[in-house]
Amino acid sequence: MSAAVRRLLSVLLLAGLAPGIGCAPAALLSPRPGDTRVVIFHSNDVHAKIDNFAKVAAILERERRSGADVYYFSAGDNFTGNPVVDRYAPPGEPMLEIYNRIGLTLLELGNHEFDYGWERLDRYLAGASFISLGANIQPPPGVLSMVRPSTVLETKNGLKIAVFGVIQIEAGSRLPSTSPERIKGIAFRDPFETAREMKSLRTDRAALIALTHIGYDQDRILAERMPELDAIIGGHSHTRVDPAEIVNGVLVAQAGADNRFLGRVELVFRNGRVVEKKGSLIDLQKNLREDRDVAAMIARFNLNPSLNRRLTRAPVRIAGKDALGSLMTDAWRQVLGLDVAFQNNGGIRRNIIGPDISLKDVYALDPFDNQVVEIDMSAAEIRGLIRRACELAGGDIDLQVSGLTYLVRVGADKKVKNVDLRGADGRPLAEDRTYRVALSSFVASAYGFEHKDPGRALGLTTADALIRFLEGNPDLTSYRNLQRAFKEISDDEEE
Amino acid sequence: MRVKVNDEEIEIFSGACVKDAVLKYSRTAWKQIQSGRKTVLDRHGHEVAPDGELSGGEELFVRVAGKAGRKS
Repeated sequence: MSAAVRRLLSVLLLAGLAPGIGCAPAALLSPRPGDTRVVIFHSNDVHAKIDNFAKVAAILERERRSGADVYYFSAGDNFTGNPVVDRYAPPGEPMLEIYNRIGLTLLELGNHEFDYGWERLDRYLAGASFISLGANIQPPPGVLSMVRPSTVLETKNGLKIAVFGVIQIEAGSRLPSTSPERIKGIAFRDPFETAREMKSLRTDRAALIALTHIGYDQDRILAERMPELDAIIGGHSHTRVDPAEIVNGVLVAQAGADNRFLGRVELVFRNGRVVEKKGSLIDLQKNLREDRDVAAMIARFNLNPSLNRRLTRAPVRIAGKDALGSLMTDAWRQVLGLDVAFQNNGGIRRNIIGPDISLKDVYALDPFDNQVVEIDMSAAEIRGLIRRACELAGGDIDLQVSGLTYLVRVGADKKVKNVDLRGADGRPLAEDRTYRVALSSFVASAYGFEHKDPGRALGLTTADALIRFLEGNPDLTSYRNLQRAFKEISDDEEE
Repeated sequence: MRVKVNDEEIEIFSGACVKDAVLKYSRTAWKQIQSGRKTVLDRHGHEVAPDGELSGGEELFVRVAGKAGRKS
């Protein structure tokens, strides 16, 4: 590279214009003199993916220096998805420190904000320098006292922007999608009914914004029902909306998931009203400038020493799919109080663990972030599952099990002739009973077996269930050479 | 809950995400998404991440990555 080119590049770099080392994009709108430009950056469903926050910090800082009124909103689900954050001591602390450092303005609670339990969330929010919203959350006195239904932001020249937040609830349970034990005692109202009551916030305010965690489909329905809104900034469905859409005159925005994109919404105010609005996404996977201090924070968090924490010490090394699968399924069954559990061999990613078993060992053994799914099944349906799994595996054993043992008889054609199920007492399973069966979400989805009950995710990953089990210091002696699934080659006719 | 993938109705456990629905629809489709050859769009033509949470009644479309999506 010539000296002249190097000089040109260094000038461009200083100006933030060099190709490949991007900076905050140019303004989306061109306000007239006297107009007020408000820039709202937004993230949703970050799920503890912290690595791109050094880029977010640099973008925010640059925009703040431009003189615009700049805010940064989170539309929920900041936890669960990265052991570095989820297993920090205390859990989630890196998200709090990063958001406090880079200046998050508002957080709408998502269903995964409750994943460490409301007690931890309470302490987390007590340390926050941002405002937390959740208009349809009705906690008992003394619980989640930092959460407000709405807030009013005031621009430098005195314009008032009202913002309220709503969280999703499931159609059946009327609760957000998390384990019910984590939200015990907290009531949740319908997000649409709650939003309707927020219309009065529009009076005497320059703008009304909904910061939601109800999913993009529901955001569009909300826009159809509430033209009083200027914008809906949402999360939950992990939808990449680029550019933001205008639905019934309401701007609807969402920024994908996992901190891969940063949303940017611009509002231009004239005579106290929004006259222009636009939104787009900034791709954080590109080589953008980073804030050095925040990058150093993230590097420190990524060293999380808690991941080396020993969960338990086994008296023996536990080796092989049979023993490790038995351990994993015992964990799910016992932690969740179910009758039977199955794990596929492909979901067991280490061949040996122990005698010391750490958090890192568990995540190496079970790295897929699968959920535990409960399905109520008859003995015939359980046989159908085992038969299907065996045939998918070319006539081999594929499912490890807890709560029963089984023998599959496989013909020379590798087709399953029959499946013999035995309970823990060695007797055949009752044909007229329903068993509560735990499966990984992968097996529940991908195995194509017959079952009447569609099932339900229990709000716990398979790895987390194993960690809870091991933290109870169970006796692991029996896992040496343990086998519960057997195969026999048979030439008999199919039963 | 019931959702649709490529216009085919499937029943799946409550609390399922996009990946679960696609896996139930077709393992081959899921492998194509993992390899980056295909992507998942919602009924409005927007890309949804595999870990996106689903509600009953949603519609998903597995499409060649980078091609324009289906719009409502």
